[in-house]
Parts: sequence; structure tokens; C-alpha cells
Amino acid sequence: MTKHRILIIDDDASITRGVRRNLVATGAYEVRQENHALVAVQSAREFMPDLILLDVMMPEMDGGAVAARLREDPLLKDIPIIFLTAIVSNEETHGSEAYIGDEEYLAKPVDLNILIRVIEGHLEG
Amino acid sequence: MVLVVAVSDYLTGIEISVTLLYLVPICWCAWFAGRGVGVFIATVSAGAWLGAEWLERWSTIQPWVVFWNTLMMGGIFVVVATLLATLKATQANLEATVARRTTKLVAEVTVRRRTEGKLRLANTELQRTQMQLIEAAKMEAVGRMAAGVAHEVKNPLMTLGMGVDYFLQRPISDADDASLLHDMKHAVLRGTKIINLMLDFSKPRPLQPSPEDLNAIVENALGLVRHQLLKHRIEVVRQLQAGLPMLSLDHTHMEHVLVNLFTNAVHAMSDGGTLTVRSSLQAATDTSIVLEPQVILEVEDTGPGIPQEQLPNIFEPFHTTKPPGQGTGLGLAIVHRIIQIHGGSVTLGNRPEGGARATLTFNLQPKPHP
Ligand SMILES: Nc1ncnc2c1ncn2[C@@H]1O[C@H](COP(=O)(O)OP(=O)(O)OP(=O)(O)O)[C@@H](O)[C@H]1O
Ligand SMILES: [Mg+2]
Repeated sequence: MTKHRILIIDDDASITRGVRRNLVATGAYEVRQENHALVAVQSAREFMPDLILLDVMMPEMDGGAVAARLREDPLLKDIPIIFLTAIVSNEETHGSEAYIGDEEYLAKPVDLNILIRVIEGHLEG
Repeated sequence: MVLVVAVSDYLTGIEISVTLLYLVPICWCAWFAGRGVGVFIATVSAGAWLGAEWLERWSTIQPWVVFWNTLMMGGIFVVVATLLATLKATQANLEATVARRTTKLVAEVTVRRRTEGKLRLANTELQRTQMQLIEAAKMEAVGRMAAGVAHEVKNPLMTLGMGVDYFLQRPISDADDASLLHDMKHAVLRGTKIINLMLDFSKPRPLQPSPEDLNAIVENALGLVRHQLLKHRIEVVRQLQAGLPMLSLDHTHMEHVLVNLFTNAVHAMSDGGTLTVRSSLQAATDTSIVLEPQVILEVEDTGPGIPQEQLPNIFEPFHTTKPPGQGTGLGLAIVHRIIQIHGGSVTLGNRPEGGARATLTFNLQPKPHP
């Protein structure tokens, strides 16, 4: 069975490491981590993920700008993006996942089970 | 004195000069004694003089003397009458002036009092606006800080959470290891909850007010804490005034407020008690100025009440007497914030009979928070 490819972009390496280790441990995913927003598009081109997890608050460039560049790219524009953010509260996310506008968000800290459920939801549907 | 003059006139027989002497004291008496008594004195003295004349000259009376005397009397009366009329006019004038001044003064005082009232109202309004500005500035700072803290704390929490989740997915042979991991997971969740409450507190969503029945919101909120109330054997007494006017409220926010107050009451009465919820419509008066009527909602419990020294800080964020990990101390801060953005007010105090009482006041025409 082919593994789904997940790219996680977050400036905090301990987070990308943790997510990668967990997803890889399920045996269902191949994960690449990217800690520099500026090279995120290039990284995505090389890896060609099935889904991108994208942090919102990053020092070099914020997640929104990164997403805009990804969507400008003809090869990457259809890859689903799930944002990870620390600055939404319970109320805004009704628990742990939500849409703000058309964008899908997961509130940090993300629970592993919720993360896997949301990823599966995208990749199966 | 008049008699003395009359007698000296009789003795000297110099009538003209004596007539002048009459005039002076009579006028003087009339001036002094005022109207009625003056006329009386003038009449009596003139009569006395005439009587003296007649007694003395009864036998040798001559027509020209009578004429002369009558003329004199007429003269005196004219003078006295003129004098009295002047006096009366002056007095009336004086009274009119006093009345006019009084009226003017009363008008001025009324205007001043009204201006004072307006000024006081404007001042209160100004103070409130100032407070709101300070509060808004404070909230903005708190909001920025909260966002910063959320970012700085939630990222490490996520790292911890991912690590714990990783080990929880693997087989664990030792039960102590498992409970250690679960404790860690719990700690991550607790930290997250506090940060989220802080975020909610610092940037409440914009109000979405609509005309609401406060009593219905009370019922909803009571429904949300029903289990807690049952568990702690707390009796609920509803004293809800029927037919309250509709209030412009965000019902989600208001439910949140009431649930926080009810929860605090439950915590204060963990061994049972009575929770009383009372709503009423009351005419509000701000000293001299009558304002719009207000809707009052009171939440009372029969717990131990709030220690006096805590009352001033009760609405401060993170003020709590609950053991670490159990209370955030944000419950009442959120209550205060939400009521404030509704343009209402909230106070907390102790009932004389014991227990705490929260009082929420809503204006019928709420002033929205900037
Ligand atoms: N009805 C009450 N009776 C007695 N004390 C009260 C009552 N309501 C509040 N308090 C006191 O005020 C403190 C602050 O209340 P607040 O709701 O802000 O936070 P908390 O209840 O401690 O925490 P949380 O709301 O997160 O559970 C409480 O810890 C308690 O000491
Ligand atoms: Mg509380």
C-alpha cells in the first residue's frame, strides 16, 4: 500500500519532529518537515505531498503568505492545506477544528487522534 | 405732645406758627405709625385742637375763624393722605420688587440646579467613557499579550502533547508509566484550557445582540448546570418577574455569564443549599435625575459568602481561592467583561442572611461598549 505524503511546515522544529514521528509511527504516512517558510514552496515542489500542515505564525513569512504562494504554483495549487495555529481559542474552534473563512484550521496543541482523523478525512474524501 | 402744642397755642394765641408745629408732629406720627393708626392720630389731634379752639371761643365765635380752622384741617388731611398714599405706594413697590427678585432667583436656582444635574450626568458619562477607554486600552494590551503568550506557550505544549501522544500509542507494560503519561497528557490539556480561556477573555467576539427574554436565558443556563445542581443537592428558587421587557442581549454570552455565576454558587454550596434567581423591573434613580427603568437580575446562594477583603479584587482575572488546577479565576472576569460590553453592570456582595449575591443590572436602552 502506498503511503500518503504529508509535508509539515512550522518554524518550531520540535513540533515538526513530534508530528513526523507520530505520523510515521502509524505506518500510513511518509512525512517531510520544513522549518523555513521561505523555502516551503521549493520543499513542496520536491516532495509533492498529498497534504500540507502549515503553521500560521512563523517569523520569516506567515502561513497565509506561504499558502498564497503554494496556490499560485500550478503543480501545488490543488494540494489541501490545513493550518495550525496557536492564536485561536476554544470558542473560535468549537473544540479543536474549524474553518475560518474557507480555510481549515487546527488549534495548537493538536491532539494526535484529531490530527489523524482530519488528515484521513481529506485523503479519503 | 399734641395736647401740649394745643395748650401753648391757646396760651400764646399765635395760630399760624402753631399750625406749622401741629403739622410736623402729626406727619411725624403718621409716618411712624403707618396707615390706620396714622389717620387715627391725625384725626384725634386735629379734633383736640379744634375742640380747644371751640371751648375757648364758644362765646365770641366768628365765622371766619371756623372757615380758617376748617381750611387748616383740610390742609392737614391732604398732607397726611398724600403722605400715606406715598407710603403705601412705596411699600407696594417694594413688595413687587421683592416678589420679582424672588421669582427671578427661584428661576435662576432652578436653571442652576438643572444645569448642575446635566453637568453631573455629563461628568458621570465622561468618567464612564474614560473608564471604557482605559478598559479598552487595557484590553487591547491584554489581548496582544494573550496572543503572544498563547503562541509562546501553545507551541511547547504541542511539542509535549505530541511526545506524550507518541508514547501513549505504544504498548506500555508498567501501569505507573501509563498513569505518568496520562498525567502529562492531562497537564497539557489543562494548560491549553487556561490559555484558551485567556484568549476568549481578551478578545471576546463582537456582540450579536438581539431582543431576548432574560427569563428564558436564565432557564437555559439553569438547564446547562442541572447536573451539578442535582449532584450537590441544591434547590433552585425562581423568582422571575413575568412580562419583563425584551433586552438587547447576546444570548450565548449571557448564558456563559449565568453558567459562570451558577457554577460559582454550586462550588460555594458543595454540601447543598438554595440557589435563588430573581429578575425584576425597577425604576432607576441617580440621586435627583430619574433615569430609564432597569432590569435587575439577582443570583443568590446560601454558601459561606465572600470574605470582605476579597471583594475589591473579585473581578480581577486569575483571582481564585480554589486550589491550583481547579479554578482559573477567570470566571468572574469574563462575567464582568461580558456584562460591560452589554452596557450593563455587575456587582458581587454578601447577603445579610449569609451567602453571596450577584446583581446584574441592564439598561433598557443599552449603551454599547466602544
Ligand atoms: N458565590 C460565591 N460564594 C463564595 N465565593 C465566591 C462566589 N463566587 C466567587 N467566589 C470567589 O471568587 C473567586 C473567583 O471566582 P471566579 O469565578 O472568577 O474564579 P474561580 O471560580 O475560582 O475559577 P473558575 O471560574 O475557573 O472555576 C472564587 O475562587 C471564590 O473564592
Ligand atoms: Mg468560577
